[in-house]
Amino acid sequence: MPADRILEVCDLRLAFRNWAGTTEVLHGIDLAIAKGERVALVGESGSGKSVTSRIVLGTMQDVPGVQVAGKVRFDGTDLAEMTFKERRRLRGREISMIFQDPTMALNPVFRIGALFHEVQKRRDPTIRRDAACARAAEILREVAIEDAERVLDSYAFQLSGGMNQRVMIGMALINRPRLLLADEPGTALDVTVQSQTLELMRHMVAQYGTSLLFVSHNLGTVREFADRIYVMYRGNIVERGPTAAIFNNPRHPYTRALLAAIPRLTGGGIPEIAERSEAFLEPMFIHPEVTE
Amino acid sequence: MPPPETAFTGNDRPVVTILSRLLRRLVSTLLVLFGVSLLIFLIARVIPGDPARIALGPRASEEQVEAMRETLHLNEPIIVQYAFFLGDLLRADLGISLYSNRPVMTDIAEYLPATLELVFLAGFLMVSLGLPLGALSARYRDRWPDDLIRLLTLLSVSAPSFVWAVGMVLAFSFAIPLFPIAGRISETIDIQVVTGFLLVDTIVAGRPDAFVSALHHVILPAFALSLSGIGQAARLTRTNMIATYEQPHVEMARAYGFSERDISRRYAFKPSLIPSLTVIGLDFAALLGNAFLVEVIFAWPGISRYGVGVILQKDLNAIVGTVLIISATFLIANIVVDLLVSVINPRIRLSEHGK
Repeated sequence: MPADRILEVCDLRLAFRNWAGTTEVLHGIDLAIAKGERVALVGESGSGKSVTSRIVLGTMQDVPGVQVAGKVRFDGTDLAEMTFKERRRLRGREISMIFQDPTMALNPVFRIGALFHEVQKRRDPTIRRDAACARAAEILREVAIEDAERVLDSYAFQLSGGMNQRVMIGMALINRPRLLLADEPGTALDVTVQSQTLELMRHMVAQYGTSLLFVSHNLGTVREFADRIYVMYRGNIVERGPTAAIFNNPRHPYTRALLAAIPRLTGGGIPEIAERSEAFLEPMFIHPEVTE
Repeated sequence: MPPPETAFTGNDRPVVTILSRLLRRLVSTLLVLFGVSLLIFLIARVIPGDPARIALGPRASEEQVEAMRETLHLNEPIIVQYAFFLGDLLRADLGISLYSNRPVMTDIAEYLPATLELVFLAGFLMVSLGLPLGALSARYRDRWPDDLIRLLTLLSVSAPSFVWAVGMVLAFSFAIPLFPIAGRISETIDIQVVTGFLLVDTIVAGRPDAFVSALHHVILPAFALSLSGIGQAARLTRTNMIATYEQPHVEMARAYGFSERDISRRYAFKPSLIPSLTVIGLDFAALLGNAFLVEVIFAWPGISRYGVGVILQKDLNAIVGTVLIISATFLIANIVVDLLVSVINPRIRLSEHGK
């Protein structure tokens, strides 16, 4: 099945180097996403899930003091063997990203239409503003924005968070990327708006056949969203497998703790979880893949 | 698709909001100018010394002085005197200068353009060099271009402009005679004065040689005047840009593969410009004050040099006139900056009661 893989990460290590020495924060991540597959990376803050997505995006490699080892293959090509320019060429064309807070992620002094224009220039450098806006209006209607023209003529601060999230989704998909990275999408939004926009995102991704790497700490949304789940703890993958298997039969102590941490609507107070536990450091558990 | 009909109507005509903003600012500016005129008038009247006596000199007789006091309305209550002053002011009559024996208005009309020419060019240098240097510094943060720019800008802000002026005259007029030492234009060139801005007048007269000569004369004083402003603008822009680089929207721009060049020139630059511009506006106005020493050093026939001359002569009419004109220029510069900021910042432009 390797030929079908859009993304393949092997033994990925990441270290930050500063005057005090080197601190390793990722200790050998293995991860793969098949074409059209939706994969979730879950874990607490600081577990390394966001930096993993930034390495896939190729921006982490350019930060001073960052050392990356291991292989990240996008569609068969190792990112480490690409030049800075080639990696940048992928971004916005083949790989795209949705951020945590859509309103903060949209430039405050450019109109939405201008941003859409710039994004489409990544695929077609000669595209005219009106053509880009017409195309943008189309995709905005796909993400259930009725008055697309008004939105394109607005600045991000004039729109609601939910509206901006739809804009973000449209912007991320307008160039038909093959891989979409979503880093805690909509965590800054309230729960109802978040679920509406996630539903839209799921629908669009399925329709376009885009592969998805979904980074989240919210197991509730992940369950609805992902085909497979990787659970991350302190720079390691501790458990991986199909979504159903992880939820129905969590094997690693950390995954169990994470699942137990979801507060129930039926009450019972905030669940108590150990801050640290030796058991969390147990080796990875791999659920057998379900082959159809 | 037409926009859906709604029951709400909003102000979506930015031009109108800018105009109403401008009007509001003009009204408040007039109020400030009125206050300045009252203040400077009172100060001119309470300082020791009889203006009529100062005007006529120590040899004049008591009768002559008394007659002069009558013409100058000095025997009236101070409120009435102020009313006379205000009336004259509205007719653009600022009285006669003792220093030059000409109407103060004539003096100002002669000297102000020279200063404005110097200050505008200095302001232009401040914006066109300071902002890009700051952006460059932020883009190459903690690398050699940044270190170099930070060192140079620190140097430029740590000495006042007259030190730079003296240094530049010594270096580029005496040691290496690249630039003329004094004046606004070569003495052999005779040019019809229309606007008083020689750079404009020479173009109007169709004299490229004269234009080059005027530019050659103004460049060194303008650079000396603007140097600390350039440094300040660059340092401020660097700080703002670095703060902007931390924003999620810059990460988004990188995630979508926008080039670092575009980010530095547009996506991060434009939002960073808003706080920079406000301070640059204040700096620009401060150039008027700093212009004095530079004008003295370069023998530049401007209003700042004139202002100091009249202060030393205790020439009350001319002092009042100069202060009023400089205040008005300061206030106008502030309005212009305010408008520029609202053009760049959509939050201000689009808010009806933007402040």
